[in-house]
Formats: sequence, C-alpha cells, structure tokens
Amino acid sequence: MSWQAIAQKDFEDAVRSRWMLGLTAFFVLLIAAAAYFVRPGPGQTFSSNQLLGLVSGTLVTTLIPLIALVMAYSAIVGERDSGSLKLLLSLPHSRADVVFGKVAGRSLALAVPIVVGFVLPALLLALGPLQFDALSYIGYTLLTVFLGVVFVAIAVGFSAAMASQRLAVAGAIALYFLFVPLWGAVRFPLQIYLVMGGGPGWLPVAGQDLFTAFQLLNPNAAFKIISGAFLNGELFTGQSLQLQLAAVGMLLVWLTVPPLLGFLRFEASDL
Amino acid sequence: MPAIELSNVTKRYGDVTAVRDLDLTVSEGEVFGFLGPNGAGKSTTINMLLDFVRPTSGTVRVLGHDAQRESVTVRQRTGVLPEGFDVYNRLTGRKHIEFALRSKDVDVDPDEMLARVGLSDAADRKAGGYSKGMRQRLALGMALVGDPDLLILDEPSSGLDPAGAKEMRDIVRREADRGATVFFSSHVLGQVESVCDRVGIMREGELIAEDSIESLREAAGGDETLVLTVDSASQDDLDAVRALDGVSAATTDGGTVTVSCDSGAKTKVIAALEDQGVTVNDFETQSASLEDLFLSYTEDEERTEVSA
Repeated sequence: MSWQAIAQKDFEDAVRSRWMLGLTAFFVLLIAAAAYFVRPGPGQTFSSNQLLGLVSGTLVTTLIPLIALVMAYSAIVGERDSGSLKLLLSLPHSRADVVFGKVAGRSLALAVPIVVGFVLPALLLALGPLQFDALSYIGYTLLTVFLGVVFVAIAVGFSAAMASQRLAVAGAIALYFLFVPLWGAVRFPLQIYLVMGGGPGWLPVAGQDLFTAFQLLNPNAAFKIISGAFLNGELFTGQSLQLQLAAVGMLLVWLTVPPLLGFLRFEASDL
Repeated sequence: MPAIELSNVTKRYGDVTAVRDLDLTVSEGEVFGFLGPNGAGKSTTINMLLDFVRPTSGTVRVLGHDAQRESVTVRQRTGVLPEGFDVYNRLTGRKHIEFALRSKDVDVDPDEMLARVGLSDAADRKAGGYSKGMRQRLALGMALVGDPDLLILDEPSSGLDPAGAKEMRDIVRREADRGATVFFSSHVLGQVESVCDRVGIMREGELIAEDSIESLREAAGGDETLVLTVDSASQDDLDAVRALDGVSAATTDGGTVTVSCDSGAKTKVIAALEDQGVTVNDFETQSASLEDLFLSYTEDEERTEVSA
C-alpha cells in the first residue's frame, strides 16, 4: 500500500526532528507541572480526573492545536520547496497517497508527544496517594490524540494547497489565532449578545442555537464538548447527547474536508 | 511499442512557452541523450513524462501508458533521477532505499542496492550529511530499485567528480545492456557521446535536431581535434598527414602536432606520422564541444531562416 509507505517514511522522518524532541519535552514538563500543582496534601487522596479537568481547558486546547500545526504545516509544501517531493513522486505514489499518507504519518508522530506527555506524569503520580482512574485517563489521552489528528489534517490540507512555504507558515499562524485566541475573545461577547440578548430578531433561529452552532464550528470547542462529557461520565448519554453527536460530526468534517480540498488543489497543480 | 512518445506537446507557463510542438519518440531499449542549454525545455519535458507538470496541449505516452492518467503505473516501471531534488536530511541512506523498496513493492536487500551505487560505507549515516555526489548516487540507487524498464535521468552527472561521472556512465551502460531504455538529459557532450545511441537537441523549447551523435557532428561539420606530442615534426611530415582521407587541417610548432580530422582517421594519422619517422610520445583528442555544436546549429538555423 502506497500511502502506508509514505506514512511510515514520514513518521520516521518527523520523529527525528528537533522540533519533535523539544515539543515532547515541553509537553511532558507542562503536564508534570500541572500534576505538581494539584498534588494532594499529606494524607489526602486525589483523583487523576482532577488533573485532567485542570489541563483540559487550558493546556490541551491551547497547546495541542499549536503543536499539531507546527508539526504539519510544512508536511507537503516543505518537501515541495526543498525538492524532496520530486524524489517522493519519482516513486509510484499518487498525489492522493501523498496527502493521506502525510496525514497518517504526522498524526502518528504527534501521538508520540501526547502519549509520552500523559504517561510520564501519570507514572510519577502513581507513586503518590493517587486514586488513579486508568480508564478515563487512557480515554482522555486518546481523545487528545484525536484532537491533534484533526489539527494535523487541517494543517496537511493547507500544506497541500499552498505553493510556497511562506504562505503555509502564514496560514498555520492565522489558523491558530482564529481557532484559539480570537475565537476565545469573540466567544464571550457573542454569548452575551446571542444567549442573553436573544440574537437578531429577524432570524428564524433562536440566539441560543446560533451560539451553539458557532461553538461547534471550532474543532477546539467541539472537542471541549466531547471531552467534558467524557470526564463527567456522560459520553453519548444524557441531555447533551445531540450536542455531542453534532460535535463528533463536526470534528469528522474537519478531519476529512481540509485534506480533501488540499488534495484537489495539489492534484491540479504543476510542481 | 515505443518507450516514450510525445506528440505535438506544448507547455506554456503564462506567457512563456517552455516547450513548443514537441514530437519525440524513443524506442524500447534505446539510450537517448536529451541535450540542450539550460532553459531549453529539457526538464519541463522530463517533468511531463512523470506527471510533475501537465502539458498545455498534446499527448504524452510512456511505456504504452498515458503519462497523466496512468502515471502511477508508469512510475512503477520507471526509475527516475530527478533534477533539483533533495534528500530527507534526517533519514539514513538505508532508510531512503528501504522507502523506495516499499514504495515499489520490491523485496531486495537494501545493502545490495547501496553497494551498487557505492554507498555501503555511508549506509547508516544521515543523508543530510552527504555530499552532492553522494546524494546523486543515493537517488540513483532509489531509481534502480526493481530493475525498471525505463530510466529517466535528469542531468545525472551534475555534482559528480570525473570518477563519479564515469561510474554513472558505467551504470547507464549496464542498465542498457540489461535491456532497459535510458532517457537522460545533459549539457555535457562527453557523457552523451560515449553512451548514447541517439541524441536530441532542444533549443528554446523546440527540438532542433534528432539523430545519432556521429551524424550530428557530420551535419554540424565538427571535426575532432587530435593533439599529438612528438619529438619533432617537419612540414613534410605534415603533408603526409594532410594527404590522408578525413583530415582537414594539420599544423605543428615542432613539438606538438594539431590535426583536425574525422574520428575514424585518428589511427591513420598516428600511423602516417610514425611512417615518416616521427616518434609520437602522447596524444589526446578534443571533440567538438557541445557548445560548438550548438553554435553551428543555431548559426545554420539562422542562415536557413535568412535565405528562406
């Protein structure tokens, strides 16, 4: 299978990058620091879910998109710039193999710092008086990997569509600011306007629904809906079932549409 | 079935026409040298064979397949040494070969491929530390994986020292002996004439000549120059040389004799001098350079255009 050969090559290449080492170390340190701050006092027990609750709203949703974008923005356009893409496409790979193989390879590479970042602090915590909920810890780690994969897919799609590395860097930075700080800044005023104020009267949709739709659009916010439900033990049950399903749907759209659009642009271009 | 068949191919980038109305056929088993100065459209043509770029009009067929729609099939049976490529700096030479083996679904020992291109000692070093010549050989090793039916080599000797260039020629010859078709571009005549069955010359996007190298040189009127180091030579000795078939000029400064002649006349020249009692200590031949060949072609073209 052609895309698998590319994925394997790309994984081996990506895990050897200095960025990768640095990001892994950084991520491990931050999770460990978070674990240190929420450590239980003498004689008290402490649940691993508390740690997850702390990092989820802060570290994971700000850092994982950043790491994913940094790791993947140059996946294809970088090879195009350097000329290694010519070596790659001299071999019998289609351009679709390149795009989807890259998504797979970089996703695997991103899974390494995430898994290491969660496992190392867990081992340290396990030495202490921790009430370790292994299932939710593993589940949350996997959800985080999924969030990372979604952002890798977005970045690779972007990387396939752009003809120069500079455009791809600008695009990655713009995407990050759009999804993380900007969205966060707009979210609160919008919430007041739409939810408290009811939104524009001329629309046949309630303000609350509009706000929900707005939130779902951001893969980060969709992730928060799902991971929140998961940590509360309400995954795919309870009142928010429909919202969760919509969030999963939205993440799947982000996972598939950007690489597809990137592929179409890449397929049509002269190298 | 021809290995390569371009009919009426034109490639435009905006206002610039890189290749114009190109018709070119390379038969199976042939070693074809694709010549021309930089910017003549050689790489664009090669990129169209590999579906890196798409022709504006015309059709390109490689190994009997449509070069656009069936490009993966084409590349499955083709080995490519691209121009202006780069290696994966963080991966070792062996990893590169392994990647090519997996991509082509070939089960061969990577060490054997590395040995074939002289990289056994550097197999476990990261390719980022390789010299230009080593990168070139690594890419060639990847190209040779799976014994392809067609080899496309874009400026294969660039960055190679003379020994490396000779090695490259030996490999081309070996692949041709195996039955592979070899299509390679170059602007260095020395590499082309010794290995090619036929050459084509590109200029400003058009194929201006297509023939065997001997006929080309004849058509261009380019003699070879034979420079002999002798003990001493007189005008009488030179007259004997000038009387030979295929010799167009001969001069001497006493210690060296310079003869312009057909390549077939070289041994006769040496024999004639020795018959005259001249001791030939050393000799070398200088072919008409590609540059001269080009010049004579472009000048001819202009002359025909003017007279027409």
